[in-house]
Amino acid sequence: MFKSQEMEINMGPQHPSTHGVLRLKLRLDGETVKYCYPVIGYLHRGIEKICENKAFFQGQVWTDRLDYCSAISNNLGWAEAVEKLFGITVPRRAQYLRTMLNELNRLNSHLVWLATHAMDIGALTVFLYCFRDREKILDIFEAFCGSRLTTTAMRIGGLLEDVPEGFDKMVKDALHAVRTGLVEYETLLSENRIWLKRTVGVAKLNADDCMAYGITGPMLRAAGIAYDIRKAHPYAAYGEMQFDVPTRPEADTYARYLVRLEEMRQSVRIIEQCLEGLPEGPVMAKIPKVLKSEVGEVYHPTEAPKGEIGFYLVSEKGGANPYRFHVRAPGFFNAQAIPLMVQDSLVADVIATIGTLDIVLGEIDR
Amino acid sequence: MSHVHDPKAAPNRKINLPKTAPVPSPGAHAADVKATQAAEEAKWQKTLADYEIARANAISEGKEPPKPPVRHAVKADAHDMRWPVPVEAQDPDLHRLRELLGGAVEECFEQAGELVCQVKKEAILDALTICNQDVALRYEMLADMTATHYPGGWGFNFSIVYHLTCIRRRKRLRLRILILEGFEPESATQVYPGANWLEREIYDMLGVRFANHPDMTRILCSEEWEGHPLRKDYPAVGLGQRDIDCREDRSGVLTRKTMEAAGHLGINLKPLKAE
Amino acid sequence: MEALGVTEPTLLEHVLMLTRVEKFMNWSRATSVWPVTFGLACCAIEMMAAGASRFDFDRFGSGIFRASPRQADLMIVAGTVSCKMAPILKNVWDQMPEPKWAIALGSCATCGGPFDSYHTIQGVDKIIPVDVYIPGCPPRPESLLYGFMKLQDKIMSSSLADKYRELFEPPAQSPIESVEPIDLIHEGSQ
Repeated sequence: MFKSQEMEINMGPQHPSTHGVLRLKLRLDGETVKYCYPVIGYLHRGIEKICENKAFFQGQVWTDRLDYCSAISNNLGWAEAVEKLFGITVPRRAQYLRTMLNELNRLNSHLVWLATHAMDIGALTVFLYCFRDREKILDIFEAFCGSRLTTTAMRIGGLLEDVPEGFDKMVKDALHAVRTGLVEYETLLSENRIWLKRTVGVAKLNADDCMAYGITGPMLRAAGIAYDIRKAHPYAAYGEMQFDVPTRPEADTYARYLVRLEEMRQSVRIIEQCLEGLPEGPVMAKIPKVLKSEVGEVYHPTEAPKGEIGFYLVSEKGGANPYRFHVRAPGFFNAQAIPLMVQDSLVADVIATIGTLDIVLGEIDR
Repeated sequence: MSHVHDPKAAPNRKINLPKTAPVPSPGAHAADVKATQAAEEAKWQKTLADYEIARANAISEGKEPPKPPVRHAVKADAHDMRWPVPVEAQDPDLHRLRELLGGAVEECFEQAGELVCQVKKEAILDALTICNQDVALRYEMLADMTATHYPGGWGFNFSIVYHLTCIRRRKRLRLRILILEGFEPESATQVYPGANWLEREIYDMLGVRFANHPDMTRILCSEEWEGHPLRKDYPAVGLGQRDIDCREDRSGVLTRKTMEAAGHLGINLKPLKAE
Repeated sequence: MEALGVTEPTLLEHVLMLTRVEKFMNWSRATSVWPVTFGLACCAIEMMAAGASRFDFDRFGSGIFRASPRQADLMIVAGTVSCKMAPILKNVWDQMPEPKWAIALGSCATCGGPFDSYHTIQGVDKIIPVDVYIPGCPPRPESLLYGFMKLQDKIMSSSLADKYRELFEPPAQSPIESVEPIDLIHEGSQ
């Protein structure tokens, strides 16, 4: 008779498809995963401790480096949280520009996700195509704030300065590139037999489990729940925008792929509306040079490309820096659900699972 | 091994322990406003008294008396900034919670549009269960959970906050408990399984342990890490754990030679013999 | 031709090229450096961008990112090294075969960058020897390409004899007796 034996293997932290430094302890029975235990913290940099010792204005810099694929969403979340804490009203033009930058950033983040996810599964061509289109968006960020990745684009109370000349044209070109690019990706993937085999029915997570584990964003929407913070608790200029929240009932990797692609289309729609209805006026509110807080406490959720990113702040009387600073990172909750999703699946599907979660270890470990 | 933080080695990295314990509530806010007004009034009275003395002195010396002081009205703020003031609870959810929990509720208020309910520390599991199960509430998701260290608190050292989300009704609620050092609150994993890592993070970062938690180990730092970094008495640069230095063995050559001398073959290198 | 003082190359000279062994080896090493994927944080995204469409790292013969340290010559440390990651980094580095080089990509790997905190190693040069430091937070892909070209210069000017002496000839006082096994985590913290 054959003897069966379970094998323990260690995936990560140095592994090409763990999107950074995630480590999974896996117990395998042949090719089947019997037990999975994620270990995180290999990129723990103490951002919360640093920000507690920095002034409110300075904290912006470290939010870039939380989820480095979508720095602007974090900037926006932080700026809005401090504005909510202090009760600052932001000018309307700044709100529109913020919305536009945030959506450009969503395109950027989803392109990185699609590139790496497809590359993990084996489609290298998609990686090259996505990075080609992403460079156009990075050029816009560079024109606006001088940096490609860690933008520090927002300021508390608005934006540092108005957009440069020729900004409209750059945005329109990038949108055109993304729109034609989307058709190409779909041609390459949507009906590709290998892609379907690797994604349909893989890494299922139904809506109840999503809610129990605090999973938000495209993961939740691909499980059939149309929950988007941009619609549920509108912030910036999202209350004035027309867009749809795409959902799919299947709750598998393929459904998440479709949801994210559709989200990119909606982002393009929102950016076009922002460009059309961009109001005139100042981009910065009148606020003192140094913010001195009263006793307060605030939790502000915003919709980052990966899900709900929330900033929790506690302030003391007369304090120039936050007394407590905490980030609710969407990836932290997503990574927590990995054991649930890979239980009794094949070891190759673990790669697809990590890809579809769209985790970035910078925000998980902080 | 124990690490010791030496403030002499890095004098600009002293720990500044906070003296206040900021826990917002309408009562605290009212007391604060009252104290500010009293301080202003006292200052004004002192100015008046000083003026009287100066005037009496001037008259006795035969000089012209100084001008009486003018009390300035509070200047209208030119900024786009209005500090959100905590107000008494008005939302039906908070009334419902107070109804169901009764005496376990310590405080209910709203600030900047956020609903806050502070409950007794022993009743947190009941409160979470009610929030999750009650038909009128049904907060399905635990969005976030974290703790804060208050070394200067009276009767408490930590606050733990739970941010709940109701997806159907688009609502959010914050539950809060205040605990002393050493108290172990009931784990929220019994109601919300997603609290597992959050509680491990709180234990790792602040040293608050949770009762009935399935896996109460450190999560971000390694298991043998010393201290809890997000406590206010922990220096931002750590206790010296980061000062790893392997420079004397730059390329691993020394290790490899040691291994060769001990009879093992070095990594990827066969020892060559000179002819 | 002959009037100009230039002679036609002979048949032998068409197939032969004279050079030194050292130079030839250096040339072959410098033009086929295979990096190990060691993406840690933000800089890894820029490293990916450098390898992708617009910047095309492959032009320098080093676009083949190897997942296994056994097949790699170069470690691009792209990102923040935390205390928990340091022993793993050292382990991967020790598994790479000689000759090997390291690039510290970005401020974090160079000196700790903006993360002056309890869990961040203040520069990867405390753990492994670094050949090229590239500043920036994160550096642009062009910076990475420039740093890589600097590394190629360094490889071209390296001497085989020195390397041999460093590896196999014992120094005047042999360090073998004095070396103890390294305890990575607790080293230097007493």
